[in-house]
Amino acid sequence: MTDPAARPSSPAPPSDFEPLAPPPGLRELFQGMLQVALSAFGGGLSAWSQRLVVERRRWLSEAQFLTGLTVARLLPGPNQINLAIYIGTGFRGLGGGLAALAGMLLVPFSLLLALGVAYFTFHALPAVDRVLAGVVAAAAGMALSMGFRVLGTYRHDPFALLLAAAVFAALTWGHLRLIPVILVAAPVGMAWYWPRAGARP
Amino acid sequence: MTPLLAAAGACGAASLTPVGTLAQVVGQFLSLSLFSLGGGNTLLAEYHHLAVDTYCWLSDAQFADLYALAEAAPGPSSMIVGLLGLGAGWPHGLGWALLTACGAEVAILVPSTLLMVAACLSWRRLENSPWRIAFERGLGPVTLGLLFAVGVKIVQTAARTPLAVLVSLLVCGLMLRTRWSPLLFLAAAGVLGSLGVIHR
Repeated sequence: MTDPAARPSSPAPPSDFEPLAPPPGLRELFQGMLQVALSAFGGGLSAWSQRLVVERRRWLSEAQFLTGLTVARLLPGPNQINLAIYIGTGFRGLGGGLAALAGMLLVPFSLLLALGVAYFTFHALPAVDRVLAGVVAAAAGMALSMGFRVLGTYRHDPFALLLAAAVFAALTWGHLRLIPVILVAAPVGMAWYWPRAGARP
Repeated sequence: MTPLLAAAGACGAASLTPVGTLAQVVGQFLSLSLFSLGGGNTLLAEYHHLAVDTYCWLSDAQFADLYALAEAAPGPSSMIVGLLGLGAGWPHGLGWALLTACGAEVAILVPSTLLMVAACLSWRRLENSPWRIAFERGLGPVTLGLLFAVGVKIVQTAARTPLAVLVSLLVCGLMLRTRWSPLLFLAAAGVLGSLGVIHR
């Protein structure tokens, strides 16, 4: 399938990106993503990526960054990790994607494993357990807020709300597993939202 | 078919060799990778089902603790998968635990990473395809349903007393209404816990 016309949002330069600064090498990709990962204590990763990639290092324009975020959110996998892969792959192919991925993961993952080892060693101590009993209640609230954050987008779309409610009910009250639920619900959603001729934005 | 009975009866006795555990962990996370819609947090309820109900790698309380740990630590919170692997391998000693943790993280990332690379390299063709548009619009509502199911599941797992549920609801409201750092909520609730105000 070919584009009928190049849209203003997606110019077709010879390389994937038209860099504002010289394109980063593998080492720079690694370091840049490492810096993002370490800045984002307790969330806000995409804001930090944007600050570094667009504003400080000027690797991507705002529009290119937003396209990347769209692709990263669209595809399965953690958004921030996908975004790192998008940036790295765009500049340096598969190797660049892996360098960016390593930068995003290596240090935070090692740190998390160290925390995990400390946890499994000490969690039986009453003092530790009491602190954690409080912390998990707050963390659960964070999990609960994720759905509400997206809910507003679908306020005026009864079908979307119905589909979401069906998925929720199947998982929560029907005790069905995630994979079969997605395999049924995704084709239903895709069929409903299939772009019709003339209705394209 | 009652999940409660299955949870009580299914695991516990089944102890595997270290390699068996590693294979189990890697296999499960490999097969879930491509179903991680909406950034991966949608898989949390499924992780709970695997780690607590099906394979007994962790207790309910441990799962909740590890979720909080992954949220509080820097970096993508989807790295909780590594912690689940760590828990699964823990009975086999530190070395196996670390290896299982890395195996779990690699397994959850490899399929989605390969798909992402493929999509990046062919994005200009995919961008205007009706499949892309239908996928994006159609899976949004599915993700919405999944996120609510996850939120409810995590609250059920982590908040077992009325006061703990109240704290969860309060944090949920504050997350939506303010731009305060989530670490602030975790720290404040930790203090309440250590004072014995919130307990399990």
